[in-house]
Amino acid sequence: MAVISFDKLTKTYKTGFRKKKTALKDFSLDIREGEVFGFLGPNGAGKSTAIKILLNLIFPTAGKAEILGSDVGEKEIRRSVGYLPENPYFYDYLNPVELLSFAGRASNMDSLKIREKTESLLNTVGLWNERKRAIRSYSKGMVQRVGLALALIHDPKVVILDEPMTGLDPIGRKQVIDLILKLKSEGKTIFFSSHILEDIERICDRIGMLVNGQLRRVIDFKKEKLIKSLEDTFIEEVEKAGGLQQ
Amino acid sequence: MHRSLIIPIFAISLALIGSAFTIDKVSSERTELRQKEGIGVVMPSAVARIAALEFKGILADVIFSKAMTYYGGKIIRQEKLIDEEWNWIYRNMDVATDLDPYFLDPYYFGAMTLAWDANKVKESNILLEKAFKYRYWDWTIPFYLGFNHFFFLQDNEKAAYYLMEGTKRPGGSGGLLPTLAARLSYQGKRTENAIVFLQEILNKTEDENIRWIYERRLNALKGILFLERAAEIYQNRLKKPPAKLDELIAKGIIQEIPQDPYGGKFYIDKDGSIKTTSELR
Amino acid sequence: MNAVWSVALITFKEGIKNRVIFGIFIIALLLFAATTTVTTLFMRDIVKVAVDLSLSTVSFAGLLTLLFIGVNLFGKDLDKRTIYMVISRPISRSEYLIGKFIGIVLLALSVVVFLGLLSIVPVIMSKRFYYYTEAKFDWWIYFIAVIYIFIKLAVVSSIITLFASFTSNSFIALVLSLVAYIIGQSTESVRELLVSQVEKIEVSPILSYMVEIAYYVFPNISAFDLKTQAAHGLSINPSYIIWTALYAVFYMTIALAIGTLAFRRREFP
Repeated sequence: MAVISFDKLTKTYKTGFRKKKTALKDFSLDIREGEVFGFLGPNGAGKSTAIKILLNLIFPTAGKAEILGSDVGEKEIRRSVGYLPENPYFYDYLNPVELLSFAGRASNMDSLKIREKTESLLNTVGLWNERKRAIRSYSKGMVQRVGLALALIHDPKVVILDEPMTGLDPIGRKQVIDLILKLKSEGKTIFFSSHILEDIERICDRIGMLVNGQLRRVIDFKKEKLIKSLEDTFIEEVEKAGGLQQ
Repeated sequence: MHRSLIIPIFAISLALIGSAFTIDKVSSERTELRQKEGIGVVMPSAVARIAALEFKGILADVIFSKAMTYYGGKIIRQEKLIDEEWNWIYRNMDVATDLDPYFLDPYYFGAMTLAWDANKVKESNILLEKAFKYRYWDWTIPFYLGFNHFFFLQDNEKAAYYLMEGTKRPGGSGGLLPTLAARLSYQGKRTENAIVFLQEILNKTEDENIRWIYERRLNALKGILFLERAAEIYQNRLKKPPAKLDELIAKGIIQEIPQDPYGGKFYIDKDGSIKTTSELR
Repeated sequence: MNAVWSVALITFKEGIKNRVIFGIFIIALLLFAATTTVTTLFMRDIVKVAVDLSLSTVSFAGLLTLLFIGVNLFGKDLDKRTIYMVISRPISRSEYLIGKFIGIVLLALSVVVFLGLLSIVPVIMSKRFYYYTEAKFDWWIYFIAVIYIFIKLAVVSSIITLFASFTSNSFIALVLSLVAYIIGQSTESVRELLVSQVEKIEVSPILSYMVEIAYYVFPNISAFDLKTQAAHGLSINPSYIIWTALYAVFYMTIALAIGTLAFRRREFP
């Protein structure tokens, strides 16, 4: 069974009076249990649109999306989903402990479990010593790490990360990669988007390439050996799609 | 000292002296300007009630204290208020009590100054009538209304009515009001009644600025009462009324004619009553 | 319920830790301090002036809190997308909106409780300073007026929630809420003025209709203003308390219901 499935998903935004922009067009994709799927594409390709539909933040114009067999509109399914938004922003005056306690409570965890999970996660992302400080004094990288902890507090089966590597320094990027591999070893399904191609081959089981709202190619690294480098393959797909549309 | 600091420090010291000098000038200019501004317009009650939103009470406080400050300034400068200014004070008190119809101070201040200083008994009574309606528990309001009717309008019937209304209110039945109401039906003792009334008002007044208004009037009335009694003795002794006050001294009934605190001179009118050239104003 | 409560709690925490609230508290404390000085300028009704100032301060601080922090708590969620961390949880949009409303009401409650208790000080001081024997004052009525300040703030919170549910910009929500407050506070007086016709103004029927409509559409916030009653110790009928409280409950329910309907289909791209 597919953990995440997109079925002929189309999303058009109204950009003005009688003006429309199609962000996703007839997009179908299945993510299998326990795999790490890299969702690649240039900026504005529609990666975030697909992810936001999964989290019910926006609604599809046509088609449907399911997680673990349930429609994404059902709120209970989000108990099994952890999500890191692109460029996350959290409440300025709160500290990570308060944020995690909210997230745990909202996911129906009891307070003892929340406390245990908070300590272990904040240690994992290296923020335990800074836990009493309000988020507004945090650097961008630290905020990103709080976001990761928030995505994982309720021990979700499915982890969805939108551009987890963007804006991080090489050390931060390595930490994220290690975390993804650790989650994979715990048997979780990971779906993440990226426009940075470095390290992708090493961590992903499969990748999908999205250009101008359409899925151009899915590569399974176990079955397929790339002849060219990932960069060149990527550029080739963009050119085949007729270049980038605005 | 670092050279780059010299210019800013010099500029700051110069500006400090300059500003200290100008702020003084500004305040004296403002005082002059404000005096010329005079009283200004009064916001109509309907507009004030809408514009004040939920802060009607505070707006009432502000309007009242602005008018009172203006009046106080005039008193301190020993200037007399003109008719227009009295009307302005009346309208302000009217608006303040429309905003908060239970607020005692504007009723009290307005009614007292308008009746005593401005000779505007009608306006004073309009304010007190409003207070009579809203401050339904307060016996002092009908007391003041009764006094106005007795003293200024010489309408003893109306005055007695208000005093009796006052006795129905808590605290008003204690002694004085019923006695006063009863005495009013007895026409002869006008001056004495007025003194009793005033003494009671004075007992209830703590504000020094208001007290002196009453004290002055009370002293004048005491002077009149003194002369009235002397004239009565003269009448009893000589079987004719005195024509002049000097005759009272000549017959040895009194030692001297008391001073009119309003600066006038007491005299005997054609009808035989004691009057003063100041007309108590 | 867990979902609603968790949103309410985090909203309240974020609001109470906001720096603006300290500014509001300092303004309130200064006004309380000023009360004791200002009252000495009056003659007899000194307690009335003290009550006016104290209760207005509580109410004003509450309004500032709602307009500057309450509106912003929605605004930041929508402008800076902090809402992602809420909606991506098992929390529906309706639960989010109601939780947010409860959080803001809790914020208003804490402001009213704190400043309401503090406002006792200037009132007691003015009573000590001078208490005119014919003045009436009753602590019960004073505290009923404080409770009604809270009820009013809760109604204003529901309006803020309603406007936040469909406006895309927190500044617009702020302006709309402020306008709604002013209209809600003044329709009753305007209506009274038109009915009584004391001021001899020519009133067009269209204006009368508009005022009538405004009176029913916007909450009659002046109904929750019992400052005059508190200032003069005027008794309040139990029926007044029952009907105005019920009115507040129904109005808030309507505002929140419309708000959740508008919010249910809202997207956060």
